[in-house]
Amino acid sequence: MSGGAAPLVQARNVQKTFKSGRLETQVLHDVSLQLRPGEFTLLMGPSGSGKTTLLSILSGLLRPSSGQVELCGVDISTAQDAVSARVRRRHVGFVFQSYHLFPALNALDNVAEVLVLKGIDRMQARAHAGSMLQRMGLGARLQHLPSELSGGERQRVAIARALAGNPSLIVGDEPTGALDKNTGLSVMGALREQLTPQRGVLIVTHDPRLKQFADRVLEIEDGRIVADYAHTAGVNEAYH
Amino acid sequence: MRRIALHSLLFDRGKLAAALLGVALATTLAFVQIGLYRGFEVSSSTVIEHHGGDLWAIPTGLEVLDNAETLSVSVRNLLASHPCVRDVRALVYGFVFIRKPNGTRDNALVVGAEPRAEHVMPWALVEGNAQDLAHPLRVSVDRTDLAKLQLDNAPIGATFEVNNQRVTVAAVTQGIRSFTLMPYLFTSITNARRLMGVVEGHAHFFAVGLHQPQCAAEVQRWMAQQHDVRLVTRADWMKKTEAYWVGGSGAGLVLAFTAILGLIVGAVIVGQTLYSMTKEHLPELATLKALGATPWELAGFVLWQVSLLAVVGGGIGLAIAYILRSVMARTGLNVMLEPGTLSLGIFAAVLMCAVASIASLRTVFKVEAATVLR
Ligand SMILES: Nc1ncnc2c1ncn2[C@@H]1O[C@H](COP(=O)(O)OP(=O)(O)OP(=O)(O)O)[C@@H](O)[C@H]1O
Ligand SMILES: [Mg+2]
Repeated sequence: MSGGAAPLVQARNVQKTFKSGRLETQVLHDVSLQLRPGEFTLLMGPSGSGKTTLLSILSGLLRPSSGQVELCGVDISTAQDAVSARVRRRHVGFVFQSYHLFPALNALDNVAEVLVLKGIDRMQARAHAGSMLQRMGLGARLQHLPSELSGGERQRVAIARALAGNPSLIVGDEPTGALDKNTGLSVMGALREQLTPQRGVLIVTHDPRLKQFADRVLEIEDGRIVADYAHTAGVNEAYH
Repeated sequence: MRRIALHSLLFDRGKLAAALLGVALATTLAFVQIGLYRGFEVSSSTVIEHHGGDLWAIPTGLEVLDNAETLSVSVRNLLASHPCVRDVRALVYGFVFIRKPNGTRDNALVVGAEPRAEHVMPWALVEGNAQDLAHPLRVSVDRTDLAKLQLDNAPIGATFEVNNQRVTVAAVTQGIRSFTLMPYLFTSITNARRLMGVVEGHAHFFAVGLHQPQCAAEVQRWMAQQHDVRLVTRADWMKKTEAYWVGGSGAGLVLAFTAILGLIVGAVIVGQTLYSMTKEHLPELATLKALGATPWELAGFVLWQVSLLAVVGGGIGLAIAYILRSVMARTGLNVMLEPGTLSLGIFAAVLMCAVASIASLRTVFKVEAATVLR
């Protein structure tokens, strides 16, 4: 933990209320937290507790109803869509439970095209994407379409894509949710390997076994952070 | 974005084929409708164009080629006396009553022109030749009118009555049709005068060739004192005749209406196709947005797809239009696909695709990045 470095994410008094018609549901109540570089954080809590909502707000996909969120030094709580889009593009890598790879592109292009979107020249992007997939153990799968890959392989492509462009923050919502136990653990291992002193990782899960990968655990219940504790990565919990 | 957009489009071949078909049919419709409209316009003035001349002497007050009374030979002599005038050529043109071989009555248009080397009349002969028409009471018929005239497929030598005089078919044209679809009977000017009872030397029109086109205004001024004849440029006379038939008559309105309806139907087909395709690709669009694509980059996703569909589908549509043109030409319908109508058709197709992509673009601009986590 590098306590002195500027936080990647700084959330103050974040509230989120969803309105549908006359029905209002307050999903987040006064959440304040910091995410720091070099830290692998797990966000845990029961279904419906607001994990996905909080992750969306912290990563700039959703605006809070009130409160303030700074992502990599930019206040995104009131910023225009284009501003938070730029911050996401530069600083955030996403890994989704259902992968969200581009079905029409092969593994290599799935990673490379995101780099192209980020302004990197295509030749360079493809070379970079190739070496990244290689490191994910997918050297022999570059030309495969997502539909021709296993779930674990798809999620590794997604991780390679999230890493493309060297983001400061990697966020994942249940990245192992669709995988069997062992594949899930190896995907988490791959994510853990991406942690550097400059980079933070925030993963939402309700699988307590994954605590072994975390430096820090946040627990949320009914839209409130109820626990926030350090954890020593690599120490096996009783569940394991 | 181009690569993602085009790969996504090409990925689902079935949907792509359906989309291309939609765009192709819509553009075919646009090209054929515009081509038909122009075809009708051109058919109404085609005799003027082929008779040629820089200026036309027409009876005062005349709005359209088809309603003329005759001009006297003195008009011709006056015109020929101007030093700018190179030649004056008469055209005898008008409605006649015909009696078909089985005795039924109908109307036709007789055309007899003073010949000149560059202006062969009739111009689309497929059987016989212009000299054959110089023999007494010989006429040409158009292949597309054979059934209407109750002639068989080898009509040369067949006879029928024109204004109670028996004429013999001596030549066959292909695809010379009038706006009203009344059969054209071409013949020599002498025969035409005889069939229509026009005095020797008189004619319905005189086409005037000039030594220098710049003289046109001067000759027109010089003729302005004449009460019963007016000099107009050939281009103006063609436009006037086209406007009378296509613009002024209900037929033109109906044609324009169908053409516009065709474009609207096309826009709806293409719009539906694009919209459902955009809906299909919402997950990818949401992912792209989450990864930081701006609204305009996302719009690029749709616009690349529209462009590909427009170019390929439009190309197929144009090819189908050309095929339809040759099929329709056999029935005598002229679908004009020349630079003017082609560029109008392309413009219409592009406009159609642009209008059709509005709904898709609206959807794209409203994509919520947060849906990727749902
Ligand atoms: N767009 C929305 N509109 C209305 N209500 C919403 C919306 N998104 C989330 N909610 C509500 O907010 C609450 C928290 O949802 P959220 O998805 O954050 O929970 P979660 O902790 O991620 O649950 P799970 O573990 O099941 O994924 C739920 O009650 C949900 O119904
Ligand atoms: Mg969730």
